[in-house]
Amino acid sequence: MRFLAPVAGLLSLVSTLLPIALADSKLSKFTSLAAGSNLKGIVKLDDTLYTELTTAPRNYSAVVLLTALDHRFSCDLCQEFQPEYALLAKSWIAKHKSGDGLFFGQLDFADAKATFQRLQLTTAPILYLFPPTTGDNVDVAHIETPHQFDFTQHRTPAEAVARFISKHTPHTPPVSRPFDYVKFGGMAGLVLVAVALVSIAFPIVKPIIYSRNFWAAISLIAVLLFTSGHMFNHIRHVPYVVNDGRGGISYVASGFSNQFGLETQIVAIVYALLAFATISLAMKTPRIDDPTQQKAAILIWNAVLLVGFSFLMNLFKQKNGSYPFFLPPLF
Amino acid sequence: MSSMEALLKDESTRNIRRLLKVVILITIAGAAVSSRLFSVIPLFMNESPRGLSETILGLGETVTFGSGTGDIGVWKSDDAIVDPWFNFRASKYLVKNGFYNFWDWFDDRTWHPLGRVTGGTLYPGLMVTSGAIYHILRMLSMPVDIRNVCVLLAPAFSGLTALATYLFTKEMKDESAGLLAAAFIGIAPGYISRSVAGSYDNEAIAIFLLMFTFYLWIKALKDGSAFWGALCALFYFYMVAAWGGYVFITNMIPLHAFVLVLMGRYSPRLYVAYTSWFALGTLGSMQVPFVGFLPIRSSEHMAALGVFGLLQLVGFVEFVRYQVPSRQFKTLLKALIFVVFALSSAVLVLLTVSGVIAPWSGRFYSLWDTGYAKIHIPIIASVSEHQPTAWPAFFFDLEMLIWLFPAGVYMCFSTLQDQHVFVIIYAIMASYFAGVMVRLMLTLTPVVCVSAAIALSNILDTYLSIKTPPTPTVGAPGADERKEKKPRVNILSAGKDSIVGIYSKASSIAVIAAFSIYLFVFVLHCTWVTSNAYSSPSVVLASRLPDGSQHIIDDYREAYYWLRKNTPDNAKIMSWWDYGYQIGGMADRTTLVDNNTWNNTHIATVGKAMSSREEVAYPILRQHDVDYVLVIFGGLLGYSGDDINKFLWMIRIAEGVWPEEVKERDFFTPRGEYRVDDGATDTMKNSIMYKMSYYNYQSLFPAGQAQDRVRNAKLPAVGPTLNILDEAFTSENWIVRIYKVKDLDNLGRDHASAAAFDAGKKKSKRTKAGKGAQRKLRVV
Repeated sequence: MRFLAPVAGLLSLVSTLLPIALADSKLSKFTSLAAGSNLKGIVKLDDTLYTELTTAPRNYSAVVLLTALDHRFSCDLCQEFQPEYALLAKSWIAKHKSGDGLFFGQLDFADAKATFQRLQLTTAPILYLFPPTTGDNVDVAHIETPHQFDFTQHRTPAEAVARFISKHTPHTPPVSRPFDYVKFGGMAGLVLVAVALVSIAFPIVKPIIYSRNFWAAISLIAVLLFTSGHMFNHIRHVPYVVNDGRGGISYVASGFSNQFGLETQIVAIVYALLAFATISLAMKTPRIDDPTQQKAAILIWNAVLLVGFSFLMNLFKQKNGSYPFFLPPLF
Repeated sequence: MSSMEALLKDESTRNIRRLLKVVILITIAGAAVSSRLFSVIPLFMNESPRGLSETILGLGETVTFGSGTGDIGVWKSDDAIVDPWFNFRASKYLVKNGFYNFWDWFDDRTWHPLGRVTGGTLYPGLMVTSGAIYHILRMLSMPVDIRNVCVLLAPAFSGLTALATYLFTKEMKDESAGLLAAAFIGIAPGYISRSVAGSYDNEAIAIFLLMFTFYLWIKALKDGSAFWGALCALFYFYMVAAWGGYVFITNMIPLHAFVLVLMGRYSPRLYVAYTSWFALGTLGSMQVPFVGFLPIRSSEHMAALGVFGLLQLVGFVEFVRYQVPSRQFKTLLKALIFVVFALSSAVLVLLTVSGVIAPWSGRFYSLWDTGYAKIHIPIIASVSEHQPTAWPAFFFDLEMLIWLFPAGVYMCFSTLQDQHVFVIIYAIMASYFAGVMVRLMLTLTPVVCVSAAIALSNILDTYLSIKTPPTPTVGAPGADERKEKKPRVNILSAGKDSIVGIYSKASSIAVIAAFSIYLFVFVLHCTWVTSNAYSSPSVVLASRLPDGSQHIIDDYREAYYWLRKNTPDNAKIMSWWDYGYQIGGMADRTTLVDNNTWNNTHIATVGKAMSSREEVAYPILRQHDVDYVLVIFGGLLGYSGDDINKFLWMIRIAEGVWPEEVKERDFFTPRGEYRVDDGATDTMKNSIMYKMSYYNYQSLFPAGQAQDRVRNAKLPAVGPTLNILDEAFTSENWIVRIYKVKDLDNLGRDHASAAAFDAGKKKSKRTKAGKGAQRKLRVV
């Protein structure tokens, strides 16, 4: 039995080497597949290739996108994500000609219904990351179950996926977005047009720019917008009006620190009306020559002021039920 | 009538009129001060029967503080109303240890185990001010306590603010407008909110400094005087030492100067005023250690530097033009200005990009890019004061002033001198900022008061005039003349014709009566707002009972007092940062994080501990020497500002640092709801924050009826279990709950299995006890 020991040793050696050899052969295979792919850097997978790529042993990291690009499935997110994924794979292969142990695979539902059924997937896209099972960067927890990328939380997927990959593997894939000539051209064109317009129109615009009324109007509009809570709408994305549940619409939000779009516009208009009435009383009516006209104007603006302010207080009372003050005519 | 007029115009009565003005001003300032005191008096005079614990607590407090510091007057608990507590503590330290020790103060009772280099990381203006007042009063042999100085500082400075606003508005229109503005700022709730007695924040003195610096700037600009410019720089320095909001001045004055240059209103006066302010002010601001070299290294200050450079250029060009009156040369010089300005702007951008000049700090940047803070700096977005302002808040804080404000801005356009440009810019900028952040309502209030006063005083000027113009005869030459006389180009449309006056007495009286009523309602409104919203210190919650009487909920003080009396002096308390100052001040215990949120990672650590499972949280608690954990729970009372509602922010902040271990998504149900009832996610239910909030809570209700009144949720029938923490204290209304962190198990087991073992033992004990009882019974 003594001669068995070296055999056993050899066997154990083989059993340790065999997966390595297997993994190595897979590595070279997918390296060539990735290099030869007509989608730059992306390995197009089918059922068998998927199984081969994702089963242990792996001495590489594999990112696999399970997607459904066919328009029949009307998967908007798949369509949206596809160029981002291609960009990521392209950026990687451009820097790492031979793949360097990180593969980007793509499995379309049309090619691999069996895999989708086997994994019991009902949604797409799904992005898996299979970390290596041999070598220095073994992640024991993820030999069978891969990491899954969370699509719900990220806005710029290419960068987010890159971060996701670098978090779980030693690779840090770069994202080099190609220079957008169209956008640049558009911007340059716009600037040129703007400059041309300004230089042509300047003589016409000049009196406006130098006009006090113009600047006064701009300032007042800005002040009215800001003090009527426009920035709140802008930041919180409040609805313009809402359904009040009884078939009508409610345009005043309940609650002191809550508001609707239409509500703020009403408030801004009331503010503007009151301010305008004040301006008229202070500056316009004393300049009216005719006594009767003047009397009528003062009376009207005074009434507008009273009704407007009364309305405003009434509106505020709707927001804050315990507000005790009011002005006639609205109680 | 004419004798009356003669009296008012007469030279001999000038002194009487001046005296009258002073009396009015002093009355206004006094009203401003007292309105802030009045608002807190009911709290101290409230001798109505309270809860038993409250009475005992009050007595206990009187005894402790009375014997400790040797003075306690009628204000038996005024220590409780100084807010924020840290500033008060710092002032005490300053008075006790002197100025130089204060500079070098290292505080090891906060931010455990890091500590905080307090002297170098605060704005010392507030403490130095109250310290100086304290020493002056002592020198005049008035034995005051520093606490009283701190409590009364904000009302005192609001009186000064009224004065500064008067001076500022006087420069804009006239004295009557100034008096109106002073009266407005004295009672406007938007300012009262930050200056009631006991509110001892930096803003307490900062608004006075803001208005006074602006007044000095206008004065310097009007006179072209280096003296006023230097004074302006001095008060600017004071402002820098007092409040981080000094950046508002740092950008307002350059913006004003820049707009004036753009309008072609460059003048040697502007040059002198600006350069003297900038040079001295910048040097001054660099003396504050917390600011240091920021004025030459950060983007917030670059506008001031840029305008300084621009003014040198424009000044040079103006000088040359004066010497060499050639037309081509002028064009050339104008081009030169433009090129140099563009070049230096490019250099600035380059320096910013390369990192020599720090970009806008997050706090200020989030004002422009309003979505920025929510994504990148949740700790800023989490503060309730940093939320955008809904319109009712504007009306609530300013009432009628809010619609007089645009009218006043418009009237500034009609005269449009250099100083009016300032008010217009200030109005637009401040209303934008106030719209973005509730807190900045404070900077808007002064300009609203100023321009509302301008508008109202215009109305009063017009309608209070006794003179009536002669009735014009139709076709009289005068009328036509007036119409023809005014084809001036650049004038407001409302101000085209010349003023006639008001013909009818009745209409004058109608307008004046209407505005008197509005003003009357305004005063009522201000009183109502102050007494309802801003009258109780934040540590005491005041509510109204159905019969209208005030009910005071004092759980915070109850809990802090418990901590003070029942925990060792060096106990470390972990809580969310909102309560850090209060724990440090009122309970006098070491905290992990507090309201000075200088270290985001440390806060995230607390957030992580709160949002983790017990097994994960325990090592964190041990590593930070935490002895007690304090949570705020409003479920019983319906108090919505509790920790479960703030919990999402804790999670977000923790996720920012440990995205792998804490995930906001896990706290939401698959349908995206944030729930605490049966439907809550496991992560939520297992977080120690959830457990601490609801531990034993169901015992208050009949089985299965436990109800959370904030979130209107029915809680699970079986309450959470806690293994690593022991409930130590729960306040009267369950608002504050304190837990003691268990020590390591004696036998080296983890707490869960130890608890399970104990639970098993308890069962057998109970059966034994039953046996014993039976036996006893037999003996009897």
